Amino acid sequence: MNKITQKHISKNKKGGEKILSVYWFVILFIVAAAIVYMTASFYGKPYDVRQVEADLLTNKIADCISEAGYLKDEALEPQFKDDFPGNCGITFDVEDSYGPKEQEQYYIKLTLTDFSSKNNVFKAKEGNVNLVYSCNLKGNNLPFCLKRSFYVIDKDNNQYQADIFSIVRKTEKNVK
Amino acid sequence: MEKRGKKGNILTENIIFIVLNLAFLSILLLFLLSKTSETAVLEEKYAKQIALMIDAAEPGMRIHLNMEDAIEKAVKNKINPSDIVSINGNVVTVKLSEKDNNPQSSYSFFNDVEANANFDTLTQKEYYFVISGK
Repeated sequence: MNKITQKHISKNKKGGEKILSVYWFVILFIVAAAIVYMTASFYGKPYDVRQVEADLLTNKIADCISEAGYLKDEALEPQFKDDFPGNCGITFDVEDSYGPKEQEQYYIKLTLTDFSSKNNVFKAKEGNVNLVYSCNLKGNNLPFCLKRSFYVIDKDNNQYQADIFSIVRKTEKNVK
Repeated sequence: MEKRGKKGNILTENIIFIVLNLAFLSILLLFLLSKTSETAVLEEKYAKQIALMIDAAEPGMRIHLNMEDAIEKAVKNKINPSDIVSINGNVVTVKLSEKDNNPQSSYSFFNDVEANANFDTLTQKEYYFVISGK
């Protein structure tokens, strides 16, 4: 009886090992399929760099109107407002791949408010104004919107609040 | 004798099992490596990286960028290393292959500066960008 049982056990062990290796390869196949799917979906999508771009655009505007916490004198002059992006060294030209209808891929708005009286001292906006309406919507193929505020003082120690609103579209190159 | 035969069997089975597993893992690793170093992926990565770099730059700056992997890929695809990066106006284009027409290989920058891309012939693995005012 003992001998028969041992034989049975050894046969079952072999069978069990074979089944185990089959299961092992099934698991490997599932893991491989998951990795292939994840890699394809990750590298199939473009890198979305619009957040960094909007950050840089906001920093550029902030550096343009202020220096070391002080408001630049030229920022309050009327001719500064006339060509606000040009005076800040910003161009809205983009590559042709976006198509003529969608050429303007940026929108910027700068508001300077007197901190004590709450009056608008300076207000300038430039770019594709239609992009503003997409900011409150939810979805994938939408422009990236960024709002930032900071405080500055002028030479006479008057305090101002600067609000910068930047939008970067470029959905064709950043979202799929 | 029988026992010895069984032991040999077990050893061979295990070796085959381990070899198959290793083969599977190496194929998976090769697939991942080939995906990460794909021409289109590198073109997009460098076009965007250079455009953002120029956006953050100021006139008078000279920026060095290590592009060893892209240069190796371009040389394999018979592209002259000095023709990899081109800047027309405010659009950066990275070209690592003659074949594909990748729409992601170009990206624009908003910084209104004059940027020039130059292949570093000394290191042979870098590009440097000279930023000047317009």
